[in-house]
Amino acid sequence: MGQSVSSAKLTTRRDCNHSQRSFSKSTVLISPMKTEEAEVIDELSDFISDLPDECLACVFQSLTPADRKRCSLVCRRWLRIEGQSRHRLSLNAQSDLHPLIPSIFSRFDAVTKLALKCDRRSVGIGDEALASISERCRNLTRLKLRACRDLTDAGMLAFAKNCRGLKKLSCGSCTFGAKGMNAVLDNCPALEELSVKRLRGIIDGAAAEPIGPGLAAASLKTICLKELYNGQCFGPLIIGARNLRSLKLFRCSGDWDKLFPLIMDQVTSIIEIHMERIQVSDVGLEAISNSLNLEILHLVKTPECTNAGLGAVAEKCKLLRKLHIDGWKANRIGDHGLIAVAKSCSNLQELVLIGVNPTKLSLEMLASNCQNLERLALCGSDTVGDAEICCIALKCIALKKLCIKSCPISDHGMEALASGCPNLVKVKVKKCRGVTPEGADWLRANRGSLSVNLDMGEHLDVTANDVVVQDNGDGIPPVVTGQIGAPGIASSSTARSTSFKLSGLLGGRSFMACTLRRLASSNGSSRS
Amino acid sequence: MESTSKKVTLSSSDGRTFEVEEAVAFQSQTIKHLYEAGCTGDFIPVPNVTGDILSMVLRYCEKHVDSDTAAGKESFYVNKLKGWDALFVKVDQSILFDLILAADFLNIKSLMDLTCKTVASMMKGKTTEEIRGTFNIKNDYTPEAEEMVRRENQWAFE
Repeated sequence: MGQSVSSAKLTTRRDCNHSQRSFSKSTVLISPMKTEEAEVIDELSDFISDLPDECLACVFQSLTPADRKRCSLVCRRWLRIEGQSRHRLSLNAQSDLHPLIPSIFSRFDAVTKLALKCDRRSVGIGDEALASISERCRNLTRLKLRACRDLTDAGMLAFAKNCRGLKKLSCGSCTFGAKGMNAVLDNCPALEELSVKRLRGIIDGAAAEPIGPGLAAASLKTICLKELYNGQCFGPLIIGARNLRSLKLFRCSGDWDKLFPLIMDQVTSIIEIHMERIQVSDVGLEAISNSLNLEILHLVKTPECTNAGLGAVAEKCKLLRKLHIDGWKANRIGDHGLIAVAKSCSNLQELVLIGVNPTKLSLEMLASNCQNLERLALCGSDTVGDAEICCIALKCIALKKLCIKSCPISDHGMEALASGCPNLVKVKVKKCRGVTPEGADWLRANRGSLSVNLDMGEHLDVTANDVVVQDNGDGIPPVVTGQIGAPGIASSSTARSTSFKLSGLLGGRSFMACTLRRLASSNGSSRS
Repeated sequence: MESTSKKVTLSSSDGRTFEVEEAVAFQSQTIKHLYEAGCTGDFIPVPNVTGDILSMVLRYCEKHVDSDTAAGKESFYVNKLKGWDALFVKVDQSILFDLILAADFLNIKSLMDLTCKTVASMMKGKTTEEIRGTFNIKNDYTPEAEEMVRRENQWAFE
């Protein structure tokens, strides 16, 4: 290739400029790998100093914050360049930071993305410190606050007045209230993304102060609310966010069925909705079905949503691309809802079903109607056995990735995959007791290009990930660990899957009722 | 490409000339703009780059001339090119920094990224003292100033 250019033969720009250097340079190779050599040639001045500031800044760009810190200590020039080229800064926001703010922010004078994080045990920065920071970073576009519990509404107001170009605000475990939030919404007309988790200040008082819409509502594209006792006081903001594209609600108490019709009446631009453990039923889904542009829907652990609600969404939201459902084993969403999806959402690319029990009936329709289905995950589904896998293998032509977790499938299912799904790239099988390492090896051997990932989960330790199986054990006896890999497991698991299919079809009602009762009692506090 | 047959001649700071295809030379935005601005005499001068460095840069551009086409984006081709790139930047510091200066002057983004990342990789995971040693940089801090920066750094999360 002729790439190994010997430095002795090369004439570089520097040789012309500093001929006195050329002798030592051509005799002693400077190898970055060997520091002892670099020490030998101490009389040489450093080549890196010939780089203009912007080139050195470009080098720093691909370093981690930790590496950048060490670079800043190399020499005064590096300190200056590193500081001026730092756009993203994350600071420990304890109250002792306050006196250092002037020097830190004159060093990092180009910061546009700032994170202020405090830990639970320390006293965080106060209003004055935040105001002082905002005076020095008027070009801030992103602010992240974590556990800064000493900030109040006044601090947020001062900040918002100074940083009117803010595009993204994310705050978690803070204690300021509705006034502080409104100050940001009124003063930052460019705000595009708002993410609020555990904002404790908004629970005070019986009549919670409404938040929004403010100036920012029109520009907001994403609103994400997590673990708020009084998340519904964001109602006016959401209703006013005419250009909202993504709405994410996680574990926020209150009856969202009341709010969704009002939201969907005004906001028609939404393409993405995530709901996790919030009180929402088919009434809410019915309202959501009016956002005709909806492409992504996550319905996670909302046990009051049923086939009827999902059907309503499917019928109208024909652009749906990604659908995630965690049915929480409530069995209220199943074949009927999924068939409705299959009938009208032909754009579906990604389908994730957790704790839902689809049978061949719906999977077959999904497979043949949703020709773009590329990613499919089935997790904790008692009805997904080898017959279902065979059906997927046969009909899901576009499928690229398949993930099966805690389903009663066996090596027969693996065999079916070997000859089906021509576009399959990756298969993940987790905690499916009927699939043996030999079965996975066989699949690997028969489809060389396929990545097969088998996780036996032999220890079956109770982890948070196992929620589906462990959390809501719904009367299905846990399979004895000793059965793993035992001969004949394939047939026994097939038998199991059929029996559950039957119970899903025939005896489903009482089964569902009992599960729901249990869910209601365990979840009662947040929904009452 | 229609312009494959068209050639341009570049002249380095030490007077050497290089005749290359337009598509190769035009990966340099600087040369492209000079050419479009009507600088189409016998040759385009590249006053800041020596012949040796310019020939390396042009070799790089020749290798990368197809990288924007569909065929060039195939993973096999991309991986092969990555390997070539890795060998290309296995040079002494003096040459590496001259390549950065050339990439900066000629405005060739991919070469700039490649060379800057290579220099950055020489800093990764090293202590301040090791970085000074690697690049032979004199510490010009007063002990007090260095201590001050150290203290400030403690407030930044990693």
